[in-house]
Order: sequence, then structure tokens, then C-alpha cells
Amino acid sequence: MPRHKGFLAAAALTALAVLAAASLFVGKYPLTLSGILSGEEMQVRVFWTLRFSRTLLGVVGGFCLGVTGFVFQTVFRNPLASPDIIGVASGASAGAAFGILFLSGAAAVTLASFGGALGAVVLCLALARLDPSGKNSTILLSGIAVHALAQTVLMALKLTADPEKQLASIEYWIMGSLNGVSLSSMGPALFIIPLSCLGLCLLHRQTLLLALEESEARMLGAAVGRLRLGILLLATLGVAATISLTGLISFVGLLAPHAARLLTRDNRTGTLLLSGLLGGCILTGADLLARSLGPTELPVSLFTSLLGAPFLLWLVFKGGREV
Amino acid sequence: MSFFTVENLSAGYGSRKIIEGVSFSLEGGTLTGVLGANGSGKTTLLKALCGILPHQGHCTLEGQQLEGLSPRQLGTLCGYIPQRSGLSLHLPVEEVVLMGFNPRLGLLQRPGAREKALARKALAQVGLEGLEGESYLTLSEGQKQLCILARALAASPRLFLLDEPESALDPARRWQVLELLTGVLNRTGAAGLVVLHDPALALNFCHQLLLMGEGKLLGSLDPRRDSPQKMEEALSRIYGPVTLTRSRDKTGREHLVLLNEWRETP
Repeated sequence: MPRHKGFLAAAALTALAVLAAASLFVGKYPLTLSGILSGEEMQVRVFWTLRFSRTLLGVVGGFCLGVTGFVFQTVFRNPLASPDIIGVASGASAGAAFGILFLSGAAAVTLASFGGALGAVVLCLALARLDPSGKNSTILLSGIAVHALAQTVLMALKLTADPEKQLASIEYWIMGSLNGVSLSSMGPALFIIPLSCLGLCLLHRQTLLLALEESEARMLGAAVGRLRLGILLLATLGVAATISLTGLISFVGLLAPHAARLLTRDNRTGTLLLSGLLGGCILTGADLLARSLGPTELPVSLFTSLLGAPFLLWLVFKGGREV
Repeated sequence: MSFFTVENLSAGYGSRKIIEGVSFSLEGGTLTGVLGANGSGKTTLLKALCGILPHQGHCTLEGQQLEGLSPRQLGTLCGYIPQRSGLSLHLPVEEVVLMGFNPRLGLLQRPGAREKALARKALAQVGLEGLEGESYLTLSEGQKQLCILARALAASPRLFLLDEPESALDPARRWQVLELLTGVLNRTGAAGLVVLHDPALALNFCHQLLLMGEGKLLGSLDPRRDSPQKMEEALSRIYGPVTLTRSRDKTGREHLVLLNEWRETP
């Protein structure tokens, strides 16, 4: 397998560009470049209101899930770690359900979901601070508790939901989709996601120190507790901004980092970026399939899971268990 | 005033005290060995000295008290080498050595050409030249230990704290590593405190030996000045009856040889 970093980066960028181009032009209403350039009204409207925002979210959101998945696996020294390990996804789901039930408009649901994700992580990290030793295992246990709490809230909200409309909306949100996203609703996310990814890339040397034993990291000058808190919050901001728009997307944050590591056999910043590019490819590709294969639009997670589940099994049985 | 002074050090895990009332001092440019049976508190002593374990008492390095220093300040002054590194990432060997410069770099700063040159020099010193680009995880246990030693050497701390840095090395490499270490300390004026399981290594390379037993400092020895009888008596308190003799190898170099007197368990 070629391991030349430049070649890998170029290949991943090309794949992402091809998928993004396909995502812009393929769909129920096929677009053509000449149609858009000639200013054909319907084509231009579909391009800007539906396709462009959707493709942008696939690329940027997938990149973010790839980068943050890599960071979570490194910080928790666990090849199966994902943002949900500290309650991000369950908090976002509970927040979205609250938004669907009590607020009006897609923007309000996005905001409620973002708040739910962030709230769950802040609660998890605050609970973990009760243990002065500040171990990774304490954060994981707090994450399990917060996840259970958020699931209970979600269940209670579902019980009070109108089964015809609200319950279906909640379920559809949980299944994940890039459908119905507009550029205006993406505004804050387009600021938060690049900021989160840039911060994580700049701090990557510090993230690698967190993969050592705590005592070893400390003797290498890392203020372990504060550093871990900062990096996890930065990663959470990116994930929360992404999934508040997309709903839950399975496996991208797990698949992309492992695929990147398998290609480069290291964990340096280049591999982190490659993980982001692969995340973008997976999410954009899955969205393309979700809206092209069936008579109606299918959930994105159906395709990411179809790819992710066998990969996970292969990872468990074949190897590659190191982070 | 001594280079490094430890006064009345006590530490443990939770409410359980492992070491108590330990006091000693080290001179710059010297290597001091810590000897003791399993569970005597050797590793706890090192962890307390470098602030990993909360402790009572004071440690002063070149007039600066170590308690209360930030991890960055502490990491600049002290180089700690654990028995095994917890690193389980695929990272190039050179990158692992460059981690040693972290206390001297800004939060977002990356190691530059100077640091990379020092890392390569340290890798060559421990005999890992040519392996800079190899993944750390593909190294043998002994090579991993040498890589972690190179990480500490490259960063040039003022105090080396080494926890059995030779445990995974073959006999020849053990001698080379301790020779390298004493040479570095002699050149830089830094001090080293090394926990060793092999008393023969300690007797032949260390300028001072600290003998630990049941969490207390039982005494100290100067292998270059103390008589074999005095050392035999002190070492017998740790290892049971021993005989110490001086012997020369084929090059004429004198070695202290420790023989355990085997006795049937009653």
C-alpha cells in the first residue's frame, strides 16, 4: 500500500472533490454545469438552496467528525472511543427532541440540539471533576451516567410527543440526514467547525501527550487535567455543531481515523488531517447514496453503518487495535 | 550546599504511607543508585520526587524548591524515565524523542531543526541511529527503553530520575547505558538518581548508593571509598547474606562482584 503522505493527501483530496462534485449534480432533480452557468432559474435555485448547502455540510461535517473521532480515540487511548463516550450524541438527541416538542422552526431545533450536546458534555466533565485524581476512567464513568440520564430525558419526551407528527420527527432526526439544511441555518456551524478543527490541529502535539500515562505526560510538561478539558471541549464544540444540523451519524468518527492510520501507520498531524478528509468522503458519499438509491430519501446512518459495522468487526478480529 | 536535597520525604497512596522520613542529598555530576527489595518503596520515592505522587517534605534542586512548580517548570528541570512508557501509538521514534522538548516549547510551538538535531544525536548515543523513522510500537522492549532514555538525554534536564532503565536490556547494553549516563552527568554537571535491581551494576557505576527497606532509608554507601566489609554488612540487610569481592576483567578493569550466599529456607 502506498504510504507516501503527499500521494495519500492528494488521493483523498481528489476523492473528496469528485464526491462533492457528484453530490452537487446528482439527485432527484439532475443539474448540469451548463444549465447553472447559463443561469437557468430552476437549476440555479436548486443548486443554491438544496445542493450547495448539503454538499458543504457533507464535506465540512464529515471532516469534523473524522478529526474529532481521531482526537477522542487518542485522548481516551481507546480505539473504539467516539464523541458519544462523554454523552455528546445522547445530549444532542434529547436537545433536539425538546426543540421539536416545545420550540418552533428548524433553527430552534438545531440550537436546542447544540445546547443539549454541549450541556451533556459540560455535565459529564463537571461530574468527573468531583474525583480529584482526574483519571480518564472517571470521565468515562461520568459519560455513561450522563448518557443514561439523557436517554431517560429522551424517553420521557418521546412519551409526551404526538405520535403522528412529533414522534416521527424525533425518530427521523435521530436517524440522521443532510436533508433540508440551508446556508442560513449553517451560519454558526460554519464558524464553529473550522475553529474547532483548526484548534485541534494546532494542539495535536499536546493531544499526543495525553495518549501517554498521566504521570509520564505530566513529567513531559503537560498540565494533564486542564489540557484534556480544553481539548475535549474544543472537539465537542465541533461535533455538537455538526450533529445539531445532521442528526446522529454513526461510525464516521470511528471509521475515518482507523482508515487514516491504516494508510499512514502513524498518528502525526498529517494523519489527523487525512482522517478529516476521509470523514468528508464517507459522509458525502453516504449522503449521495441516501438520496439516490431509494424512491424516498434514506437515513445517512444506514450507509455509514453498512460500511462501519463490518469494518469494526474486521478491526476487532484482524488487528489494528492500537490507536 | 548540595546540588539536590531531599528533606523528610513521606508519600503513599491514599492514606497508606509507602515511604516515610526519607532525607538525602546528591552532588552534581554524580549518579546515585537506589537499592532495595521488592516493595521497599524505590519507585514511590522517584514518583514523589518528581511530583507525580503528593508528598510531605521538601525537595530542593540547585536552590529551587520543586514543590509548587508547574508541570512545565518541573519537566524542564527533571527528566523522568518510567520502567515502561505507556505509549501505545504508532509514532516515529524521532517523534517520541522530540516529546522530551515539550516543557521548553510553547503550547502551539513545534520542535525546530535544533531540537531535531539533538533528538538524532541522542538516538545515536543510545545506539538507535537509523531507526528514527521506524514506528515506536515495532521496536523491541529493549529498544523502546533506549528510545525513552534518548528522550530524556535529548532534553538535558538538571536531574535524571530513572526507574530501572535497564530492565529490558541485554547485559552488554546495560553496562553501555550506565557508562553513557555517568559520562553525560560528568559532562553536564547534572545529577542522576537511578533505581536498579542489579546490585552489581549499582556497585560499579554509582557514586553513592541509597539502601531502602520498608519505606525507610536504611543507609547510604560510597562504593569507591567504603570497605567491602562495610558494604557487605549493609547489603546483607536487603539481600540476605552476601559476599563482596574485587575482581579484574581481561582488560584489567576492577569490578565489585556480589555473591549471594545461598541458604536453604528453614
